[in-house]
Amino acid sequence: MDIFANLVNGIIGVLSPTTLLFLGVGVLVGMFVGAIPGLGASAGLAILLPLTFGLEPTTAIVMLAAVYYGAMYGNTITAVLINTPGDSAGVPATLEGHPLAKQGRAGPALVVAAIASFIAGTVAVVLLTITAPLMAGVASSFGPPELFLLVVIGLLTLIVLVGRNWLRGLLSVLIGFAIGTVGIDVGGGAQRYTFGSTELINGIHFIPVAIGLFGLGEVLWTLYRGGHRDGASPMRLNRRSGPFWPSRQEWRQARSPIARGTPLGFVLGVIPGAGATVASLISYSVEKGLSKRPQRFGKGAIEGMAGPESANNAAATGAMVPLLTLGIPGSASTAVLLGGFLMWGLQPGPLLMTQEPEFAWGLISSMYLGNVMLLLVSVFCIPLFAAVTRTPFRTLGPLVILLCAFGTFAVNGSVVEVGIMFACGVLGFFMRMYGLAPAATVIALVLGPIAEETLRQTLLLDGGMTLFVQRTPSLVMLFVMALVLCLPLLGTPLKRTAARVAGPSRRAGAAADAEAAEAEEDGGPESVRRQEASGGG
Amino acid sequence: MPMKKTRHLLPALASLASATLLAAATACGAGSSMQENPDDYPSKELDWTIAFGPGGGNDIMSRTIVDILNQEELYPADIVVENREGGSGAKGWGHLYSNSGDPYTISTTSGSFITTPLQADTGWMPGDFTHIGLFATDDTLFVTPGSSDITTWEDWVQHAEDEGKVSVGGIGTVNVDYIIQAALAEQAGYEIEYVPFNEEGQLQTALSSGSLDGIVSNPGSIMGQVESGDVNALLFTGQERLKALPDVPTGEEQGYDDLVSMPRGLILPPDAPDYAREWWIETMREVVETDAWQEYLDKNYLTADVRWGDDFTSYLDTTGTRFEKQLKEQGAL
Repeated sequence: MDIFANLVNGIIGVLSPTTLLFLGVGVLVGMFVGAIPGLGASAGLAILLPLTFGLEPTTAIVMLAAVYYGAMYGNTITAVLINTPGDSAGVPATLEGHPLAKQGRAGPALVVAAIASFIAGTVAVVLLTITAPLMAGVASSFGPPELFLLVVIGLLTLIVLVGRNWLRGLLSVLIGFAIGTVGIDVGGGAQRYTFGSTELINGIHFIPVAIGLFGLGEVLWTLYRGGHRDGASPMRLNRRSGPFWPSRQEWRQARSPIARGTPLGFVLGVIPGAGATVASLISYSVEKGLSKRPQRFGKGAIEGMAGPESANNAAATGAMVPLLTLGIPGSASTAVLLGGFLMWGLQPGPLLMTQEPEFAWGLISSMYLGNVMLLLVSVFCIPLFAAVTRTPFRTLGPLVILLCAFGTFAVNGSVVEVGIMFACGVLGFFMRMYGLAPAATVIALVLGPIAEETLRQTLLLDGGMTLFVQRTPSLVMLFVMALVLCLPLLGTPLKRTAARVAGPSRRAGAAADAEAAEAEEDGGPESVRRQEASGGG
Repeated sequence: MPMKKTRHLLPALASLASATLLAAATACGAGSSMQENPDDYPSKELDWTIAFGPGGGNDIMSRTIVDILNQEELYPADIVVENREGGSGAKGWGHLYSNSGDPYTISTTSGSFITTPLQADTGWMPGDFTHIGLFATDDTLFVTPGSSDITTWEDWVQHAEDEGKVSVGGIGTVNVDYIIQAALAEQAGYEIEYVPFNEEGQLQTALSSGSLDGIVSNPGSIMGQVESGDVNALLFTGQERLKALPDVPTGEEQGYDDLVSMPRGLILPPDAPDYAREWWIETMREVVETDAWQEYLDKNYLTADVRWGDDFTSYLDTTGTRFEKQLKEQGAL
């Protein structure tokens, strides 16, 4: 009951007109900042944090929490419209969101994303309210061995992401790993591939690479295919017209992925390091594995966007758990918030919630209200943003290139990073041409260095490799890893059972797409055989 | 607040308008300072560089000083604060270095001011700059998990000797944390396996998950867990005991030396005019006397250590040599 009394107090505290104004402004500013390629939640927070120096802590945190949420959604907007993810956790959503936009369904994609964010955000805050102390235990049980296994699980899901072209997928991943080796080696302090440049000693960041490979690469690719000769697409978009709202079928397809992605994202988001990225990757591969028509993935499957999007947003809230309960930052964005705590003269740590209840519960309450505010603001703003898809490419293309350069420069004010962005744009073009997977490259760039660092830390520890089987949390991770590996094998029988239970009516609906139904029949017996084989061996 | 917060958006916009603007602006800054009458200093807008991101130790110190300068009306013109982070400080201090002679460009120091030039080709050394003064040092706490029965420094040394080798952690390799861990182990006579981390969060969970036996951490970021009993604080590397932890001994009391710390001071570009240096020394003397400054030191667990001008230069000199010597001995360089 204590929790609810605190929560009600928190909400009452936040419900003043001034705070609500800050909340609304925060969401709006966050959304527009997030919509600039490269400026994700952590960059958005870092830009706005100095503004709060000297502000009252509760007001400051309410505004920053709103910016955090707004920027997360702003990232989705650029991911869908110009194919540029704002952080590594946003990559899987790009894979489906952008194809949807190209089919003229940017409106429904953004609405589904907004609603997935709202549901995931709200459910995750409820989970945070109730389970924070319990989840704090999960976060503090993750040492280097567990983090390494978690990252490996994330890398394994890339197998699902790249699909059948495993050789090209492997090549894409290796490019990512190679880029990830640049910088000072944390183990020995030696410089790798920096050529003495101080610009490179902290490595090559995700942002310029992702903007280049996705945003600029896409523009170059469209030019190559002659997209600049096409006129504007004839689509019309306003809140009353049909194409704005998702169809009933799309709602149905999005429902279960959101329900699965939310708890997954929350639990993994609690883990400091790579939680959010791995969560959205797992969500994507689970949805593809469970889908009746996995071949739709990569071409605009709404469930492949709804799942990772909700996982990503739930993880953003999950990352607040170690921040509030332990004073440990779990992600780049929460590290900036932690800096804010110090700046406002608060002592982060396990006692924060009891010593500063007004602040901690004010923050939690503002997350509830922030989610509602975000949903309202985004539904009003979507038609405005989605208008981008009506713009002819010969106008949009140069604008996107400018935005890419601007966004890259704005993050760190580095000209070298802009150069890296352009180089990666050319790389992205050739990767498209030869059927490589840029998504796998950027994920490998983010996860590779973490894997290297945590593996080397584990090996330095007393026990070395045997630590993986000696510690309970790491055994749990090994079990999950086995599950991920077996998912493609288990997927088909599960689907068949589901289809049988659902009865003939659903079956008929699914069979509407003749090609899909055929493929399913094809896939069925083969995987049954595979199952038998593996069972026998 | 009269402080202007532009960070990167405005420079980025400017660069969109004209790529040459930055070069032009720096040229103006350097050029205009030449024909100034020393008695008029300061009269122009001040460009305050923070070589790290918002929310870090360096950022909070800079913003505190700027806030005091504004509150007390010590600086007559505007102060523009900008976070120029990148390359472990190389970018921010590089900006200062490229504005040689300009009395209207200023920055604060931290541990990386000494370590970054040692490990990368920055093109400058700490001694190149015009040193105004050192105000405080940022020291570290040695902690063990709260669940362990090691609650005193003597327990720890005993435990380490019994184990033969203990796993300890800290941030980075060419860094204060490593030097301290190695110095403690060498002088107390136990063996360590030093495990470097990139982020404070992962370092702390490595300790709580039982992967590490002990870590060093900044009091500001670990104090919450000390207060709640999640970790045991065994030793403080500063000159005097922390007010918040009167029972935790200092390294010096235990007879250890060479326990380095991060210098929190203020610098001008190389070859800045003497009148500017003098003005800043006089002004900062007032700043460190204010209650707001004292409150900042207490809240961030810094140790006051005030050295002006040439004293600061020789301090940087000896600290730099010590860093280099120890890192070379341990094979990190």
